[in-house]
Amino acid sequence: MEETQITPSLSVRSWSSISTQDQSSISTQDQSSTAGQASSTGPQPSKPSVIPPPVKSKGPSSGAGVRRMRRIIAEDAEWSVAIVPLLTELCIQHIVKNFQNNPILKQLPQSIRKKVLNHLSPDLPLAVTANLIEDENYWRRCCTQRWPVCHVDEHGGSWKRMFFELHLENLLKHFIPSTTDPEVILNLLPLCRNYVHTIRVDQFLPPVQLPPPLRGGDQSDSGSEGEMEEPATDHYQLGDLVAGLSHLEELDLVYGVKDCGMNFEWNLFLFTYRDCHSLAAAVKACHTLKIFRLTRSKVDDDKARILICSLLDHAALEELDLSHNLIGDRGARAAAKLLGHSRLRVLNLANNQVRAPGAQSLAHALAHNSDLVSLNLRLNCIEDEGGQALAHALQTNKCLTTLHLGGNELSEPTATLLSQVLSINTTLTSINLSCNRIGPDGGKQLLEGMSDNKTLLEFDLRLSDIAQESEYLIGQALCANREAARQRALSPSHFMSPATAKGPENPAG
Amino acid sequence: MNPPGSLGVLEEKEEEHLATPVLGPSIHSDNPQERIQARRLRIAARLEARRREALGEYLDGKESEEDQSKSYKQKEESRLKLAKLLLCGTELVTNIQVAADIREIHRRVEEEEIKRQRLEKLENEVKTSQDKFEEITMKWEEGKQKRIPQELWEMLNAQQVHCAGLIEDKNKLISELQQELKAKDDQYVKDLKKQSGDICLLLERMEEQVKNVMKTFRQELQHIEKAFEVEREELLTNNKKKWEQALQAHNAKELEYLMNRIKKVEDHEKQLNKQRIWDCEEYNTIKIKLEQDVQILEQQLQQMKATYQLNQEKLEYNFQVLKKRDEESTVIKSQQKRKINCLHDVLNNLRSKYNKQVKQFQEENQSLTSDYKRLVMQFKEMQKAMRHFALIDDKQFREIWLMNEEEVKDLISRAFDVDRIIHTHHLGLPWTAPDFWFLKNVGPISQQQQKSATQILEEVLMEAEEEGAEEAASEPESYLDLPKQVSAKTTRKILMLLCDESGFLVERKLLSLLLPLDKSECYLLKLDAIFSALGIESEDDLYKLVNFFLKYQAHHSPPSQERTSLVSPLEKLDPQGEKEGSLVDREPQEKQPPPSPQLIHPNDVLKILEAFVTGLRKPRDFRAPVKLLKVVRDDSKDSAYWKALTTVIPATTLNLWDALYTALEKYHLVLTQRAELLIENSSLERQNTELQQLLQQYLDSKINSELQVPPTEVFRVPTK
Repeated sequence: MEETQITPSLSVRSWSSISTQDQSSISTQDQSSTAGQASSTGPQPSKPSVIPPPVKSKGPSSGAGVRRMRRIIAEDAEWSVAIVPLLTELCIQHIVKNFQNNPILKQLPQSIRKKVLNHLSPDLPLAVTANLIEDENYWRRCCTQRWPVCHVDEHGGSWKRMFFELHLENLLKHFIPSTTDPEVILNLLPLCRNYVHTIRVDQFLPPVQLPPPLRGGDQSDSGSEGEMEEPATDHYQLGDLVAGLSHLEELDLVYGVKDCGMNFEWNLFLFTYRDCHSLAAAVKACHTLKIFRLTRSKVDDDKARILICSLLDHAALEELDLSHNLIGDRGARAAAKLLGHSRLRVLNLANNQVRAPGAQSLAHALAHNSDLVSLNLRLNCIEDEGGQALAHALQTNKCLTTLHLGGNELSEPTATLLSQVLSINTTLTSINLSCNRIGPDGGKQLLEGMSDNKTLLEFDLRLSDIAQESEYLIGQALCANREAARQRALSPSHFMSPATAKGPENPAG
Repeated sequence: MNPPGSLGVLEEKEEEHLATPVLGPSIHSDNPQERIQARRLRIAARLEARRREALGEYLDGKESEEDQSKSYKQKEESRLKLAKLLLCGTELVTNIQVAADIREIHRRVEEEEIKRQRLEKLENEVKTSQDKFEEITMKWEEGKQKRIPQELWEMLNAQQVHCAGLIEDKNKLISELQQELKAKDDQYVKDLKKQSGDICLLLERMEEQVKNVMKTFRQELQHIEKAFEVEREELLTNNKKKWEQALQAHNAKELEYLMNRIKKVEDHEKQLNKQRIWDCEEYNTIKIKLEQDVQILEQQLQQMKATYQLNQEKLEYNFQVLKKRDEESTVIKSQQKRKINCLHDVLNNLRSKYNKQVKQFQEENQSLTSDYKRLVMQFKEMQKAMRHFALIDDKQFREIWLMNEEEVKDLISRAFDVDRIIHTHHLGLPWTAPDFWFLKNVGPISQQQQKSATQILEEVLMEAEEEGAEEAASEPESYLDLPKQVSAKTTRKILMLLCDESGFLVERKLLSLLLPLDKSECYLLKLDAIFSALGIESEDDLYKLVNFFLKYQAHHSPPSQERTSLVSPLEKLDPQGEKEGSLVDREPQEKQPPPSPQLIHPNDVLKILEAFVTGLRKPRDFRAPVKLLKVVRDDSKDSAYWKALTTVIPATTLNLWDALYTALEKYHLVLTQRAELLIENSSLERQNTELQQLLQQYLDSKINSELQVPPTEVFRVPTK
């Protein structure tokens, strides 16, 4: 291998410099040798071999005689002038090779820049590449190399953004307070501040207590962790990170541990007050935040109130998701207050413990609100009192389009009120009343309400004890509404022939 | 779990309807999903039909096309089918979630119930155990009172039993709860399993759904494509037929056009030929004409060239001349500039000089004005002195005059005396005293200086003022010189009237100047102006005027008819007014013999003035030179006077006197001779006497006697 590498270099030496020749020889060899291999693995073997060749080539050139050279030429049957690569190619290869130490990119012309980017290794340190390279292809390679499954659509269609978001997520997921150095994340901050828009973290590891490993030697997997003392279960404080990210728009957090297996203990899932306060401060300080999700984190009334307090009068917040928590009526009241003090569009309190009083306060806020588009109270227990209050609120509200009241123990009185709402309201497009006990009479009343409604597109009444007939008729009314909505969507554009107008609709419908 | 069940009911219900054969999934298939799909599709088809009916009105135009286009139908069908499919699929998938939800709700409800029961139970337990515990503690109290050990033992045993019971109860409760907990654990595990099963089902369904959807999508796509192809082929064939027909028609028409065109071309060619010939002729004629024109123009061009050259030369010459002039002018300009500069310098110098001089002159002027003022002062003083001296001189003159006159008169009287004596005594003639004007004269001649009108005015007015001040005082003596009976008052009144009536004679400027002055001064100045306008200068004129007024009044007031011819109709009214005035002023009229000037009507004043001026004009002419002499005292008469004084005695008398004198002298001489003789006689007589006496004495004397010869004897001797 080395012999063959040297041969062209020596032969070409007479009319070109040594260093470039070495590279050229290597590159040609690499190209030829690694052609069959995967592109990702290609650069790796070349790197280590880059440095030694010049030393070796110089050795023989100075020491060995001319004879040896001649002999080698004679042996190389495949050598020809046509194989000699262009100088630009050689330069590009050199740039690629030394990119880590001397990143030259901006000065290059467009076509060459592309080539360089195509040859850059995804393993280059982020400090070099983060703020220098904008090319999506490079970052695509980086992403696909690290994560086999990744959806760029979830990250705004930008591979670079995706790379940094996933990278940051990864760091946060595996951050162990008091053992991991916080600088690891803070160092990344200046590199990723312009690219991270979303943070989605579905696990926060608690700090590791020193005692368990000591005892872990003898009873590693036994329930010894259950006896751990309470303190110091705070998780990573997001404050610094959130303050540093200038484009952060979405925060999706779950304070819990995944895949704990048999090491389960309740401590792992504690969302402490300190966490709560720091999170609240971080969220308050982040003025660009639009979506805030905190699910499955055992947020109770007090914590919810702390968080919502910090969100009052937030300039940008549009969506708040506190589903799968332990929020009761007081938390719901706080959320209702938030409705009056922000421009919230989506509120999700699914699977909490909101009861009638909470629902009534929400309904009161909803009656005067003109921003909220979607309200989700699935799997709560607001019962008829709350449901009636909400229905009353909907009689005045002109904004809400989606309402999910599934699994709320609602019954006929709510249905009667809702049927009135249906005949009046023209903004609601989707209602979910599944898993309630509406009963056949309630179903009939809803059917009456539906007969006057022309805007509702979805009305889920599954498993709510409604007579089949009324459910079927409601379904028909919904179909009619959907068709009408489709026509409405088409008609304002132009009165084109249905053949052309409805063509593209097919897959969507 | 639930969805199939719940939907199963629906399915049965659906089966009551007529089973319509559907292209895709059939209702009778074994797969429930397929059945659902089939039913959905049927519903969709029905809905679609209804919708079309609804939309039929505004789409009727399209409907004919819709009927024809298979592809559109196919598309609609597929769309609805797929929509149904998707809806069903999502429903199917979400069914699991809904089922889980309702399970969760049930669980929660149950849990709540159980929790409540448990709590109740616990509370009951607490109550009962509390009772028991209290019982036991009560017993302890009892036990303290017991003295007998046996009883105490029994009681202790009983207590022990009780306590054991209590503890047993508690333990039972605990074990129950633990069992519950275990059951819950089991339940939890079961739930977990179930949920994992659910999730598996969910995944399965999702995958199935995806496959199904993809399959149906493909199918539909194929259907649509087929429909389109069929439609396309139909269209192609139709269009081909049309195309061929059109092509044939086109060919026929083309041929026709070609024939027409050929005919037309021939016609046009003929026309062209004609046109060409005609054009050629025209062209030739025009050409000849134009050539002639060209020749003429060339000639003109030559001429123009000649004139041009001439002009050029002239212009060149002019240009040269102008250049020279320009040079000269530049030279002159520079010279002028230099001159201007020099002149500027000079001007500046002069200006400075001028300024200096102005200053100097101002200073001088100041000094001179001061000098002038001083001189004026001096002059005034001089005038004062002069006036003083004039007065003194006058006085002296008068005194000297009087003295001389006295002397002269003395002399004259002596001369007259002498003359009288001569006449009476010597000549024996009667003597009459000569009567000469100058003999009566006392003081200097021409002392009666005529006062100027203004002075009089002043006096009059002053008088008036004084009168105003002291009414009681009678008319002053100073007014003796006022002519005749004209009183100061009347004059004043007349003058006032004149002043008021003849304001037009006063210059306007003066009037404006007069405004701020006193009333009397105002009158004075006005009258002065009026008099100067009228030509009244002297006192006499003034009096004449006043008299004229009075006379006029006297003449005209009673007999106003005299001048009716001249009097304007306006004046005709006057007499009555005058009469009235006269009636009113009767009393003053009586007091004052001259008619009061109040009687003179203001309107008459002008007439009077006019008459007066015409009358005055002549005398005024010769008086003009006299006026000059008035200034210097007139001494021409003095010498005459004095001479006259000397010739009081006429020359005849003097001659007489001379003759008389000579006669008298002769007489005197005779007389003197006689006197001498008389004296000689007398002296001689006395000598005689004396000598006689002496003789006698001598004679008588003893000496004589003694003397050899006595004197008496001498005597006798000479005498003998």
